[in-house]
Amino acid sequence: MAVDTKERPPATQQTDATAEQESRVQPYRIRTGMFAWMMHRLTGVGLVVYLVIHIWGLTALTDPETFNALIAKYHSPIFKVGEFGLLVAVAYHAMNGLRIVLIDFLGWSPKQKKLFWTLGAVTLTIVAVGGWPSIYALGEWLLGPGSMPTLFL
Amino acid sequence: MAQTNALNWFLHRITGTFLIFMLITHFWVQHYDHQAASVTHEVVTEKNEMPDYPEEAKAGVEARFGPDAEATPYQVVMQRLADPVYAVLWKGFNILFLIVALHHGFYGLNNVMTDYIRNPMGRLVAKSLSWTLALGLLIIGMYSVITAGW
Repeated sequence: MAVDTKERPPATQQTDATAEQESRVQPYRIRTGMFAWMMHRLTGVGLVVYLVIHIWGLTALTDPETFNALIAKYHSPIFKVGEFGLLVAVAYHAMNGLRIVLIDFLGWSPKQKKLFWTLGAVTLTIVAVGGWPSIYALGEWLLGPGSMPTLFL
Repeated sequence: MAQTNALNWFLHRITGTFLIFMLITHFWVQHYDHQAASVTHEVVTEKNEMPDYPEEAKAGVEARFGPDAEATPYQVVMQRLADPVYAVLWKGFNILFLIVALHHGFYGLNNVMTDYIRNPMGRLVAKSLSWTLALGLLIIGMYSVITAGW
């Protein structure tokens, strides 16, 4: 996933610490690309766990009462916080994934710095616009009805 | 083996790209469209209390299920999944979505597991268990989607 470019020569240098490392867990050298990759894994695993729960939960569709109870639960404060966290994970994973696809398939590695920051801005926009309803709902609940600006809702 | 891995690597990028578009549709329909959103966005409700739906959703449910029909989360979803025309389209979309999401998610999970599990037997066990879980989820997911609104 990490692509070596002129700007970023291959990391061939091996320190004594990594050479002697026999443990299961290799200490990662954290640069921007490595951080992006680690976050991609973490959000990815999180999303698989969510996917399992989500598909399992949808078995409630077979019964109206159960389904209504499930959706009522989704409107509780803790789920609103979770909903926002889910959006952050999905938006990050989707945009970083898009970055990987553009580099792998269209050879955009020379442009990868620019691509990284552009997609970062897109991610923030998605989180802000898409996450506003959740923030709005939580604000209304915490601070009382009418305390949040309606904006585009 | 090497060839199937290359194919899966390629598919992972294709399914990922597809998922971006499918997720946009999914989020839009479930959260932002005033008629179709089953999780209506502006509300946090008290414990076990049903959310109130916007006028568009109430009108949609009444148009589809008659003037006595109540706009509950179930009925709002059934506007799409019990509709004689759109149901096929939406069920088709959901089944495709299920397959693509499960393949993408579990292939990714297997990549991660292969990186940390070094023992070949452990890898095989992890691989078999995870894909069995994926297959199970595909079956129950398809069952939920297909039978919804029957």
